[in-house]
Amino acid sequence: MRILFFLFIIGSLCSCWTRHRPETYRKKVIGNKAIFETLQKAKEITYENTARSVQVPGNICAIGNKIYQLEFGKGIHVIDNSIPSQAHRIGFIKVNGSSQLSIKDDHLYVNSFNDLVVLDISNNNTVTELNRLSGTFPDGMFNYWMVQPDEPGYYECTWYADSLIVGWRKDSIWNDCYKD
Amino acid sequence: MNYSLLKLMVVLSFSCVLFSCSKESAGTESRATNTTGTNGSLSRFAISGDYLYVVSNWALYTYNIADPGNPVKTNEEVFAFNIETIYPYKNHLFIGTTTGLYIYSIANPGTPVLEGEASHARSCDPVVANDSVAFVTLKGSSRCGPATSGLYVHDVQDLFHPTLMKTIAFDNPEGLGLKGDVLYVCCNEDGLKVFNVQNPANPVEIRTVTGANFKDVIPYGNILICYVSTGIMLYDISDPSNPVAVKLISNT
Repeated sequence: MRILFFLFIIGSLCSCWTRHRPETYRKKVIGNKAIFETLQKAKEITYENTARSVQVPGNICAIGNKIYQLEFGKGIHVIDNSIPSQAHRIGFIKVNGSSQLSIKDDHLYVNSFNDLVVLDISNNNTVTELNRLSGTFPDGMFNYWMVQPDEPGYYECTWYADSLIVGWRKDSIWNDCYKD
Repeated sequence: MNYSLLKLMVVLSFSCVLFSCSKESAGTESRATNTTGTNGSLSRFAISGDYLYVVSNWALYTYNIADPGNPVKTNEEVFAFNIETIYPYKNHLFIGTTTGLYIYSIANPGTPVLEGEASHARSCDPVVANDSVAFVTLKGSSRCGPATSGLYVHDVQDLFHPTLMKTIAFDNPEGLGLKGDVLYVCCNEDGLKVFNVQNPANPVEIRTVTGANFKDVIPYGNILICYVSTGIMLYDISDPSNPVAVKLISNT
């Protein structure tokens, strides 16, 4: 059953994610080039004590006087909501490959690529990684924006076993993969 | 003499342990007032008690987080349909999928069990619920499928057989939130619809708040936290039926 399930996933990946390029011949085009980082660097979690602008906003979670908002693929914005009329972003937790979060007590649960990560958020000036369940989400569907860029068009679709995609930038790439 | 000194030391060290214990438990109790964060309705993570429930597109994962530094996966269930959202309410998980609303019992929290389902046409659908009804927004679109967009109210008093009570059609629904008898429904560029749902079988639209592109909401005490395309918008909902803008935390 499990094997069938994963075959199904792989099948659907092949059928609808990696579109055949509109042109029939291989050439260089301007498209989204993947930004790779080594596994260790990509999974490193850090805390910035300053506000950062929001590029691709995601889910929100409120607890106590704080609001946490996910930035797809990048991490979590921290908002001080002690006085709602003066609420403002105060920091950013860098968690590459993230898309979902939840909080209980002083612990923030977030996905990072296919891992589940537990962060200690009790300290206002730092964030500590308490634990990481590596590869706990085997279907990999959390990370489609890491496998494909957000916007349609040509994108680089090469993969390396020792690196992960942490972002995209415009560059000259081969027209191998196209997103509708 | 030596013996009584030893005895005194033992008693003293025990009382130290006792004191430190009582201090710790007091600390946890003071935090117990607001222990679990409140997620928006578009969430795929949900915490209920000592368990974290995670839905990916095709699976429901259950983790025991009683020891927060050491989560343990207790269950993994694969679905044959596209899961969109998860909403915990009391002993139940309401799971919105592109093919219907699924209700799981978490009476045994480590192993959720399917109790009931209400199928609908293919669409996208976040859920909020209370004791008697589940409110679902369906968004028919090219990505999500051809269902009629709008608010769907399911009677869930019999969790094994949820039944559709009412449908109100409108465009672009997204996340939703419930505060007592008032339901907030995000409608993207069409604004935020405010319904009186005192009689859930017949939600009455009170007003539509405009001026932003609304994605999701969290009623949070007297504040309504709205995830809008330009940032996070806070409204005062001391009068739940009349949200008053307080602050926009702009994305830029």
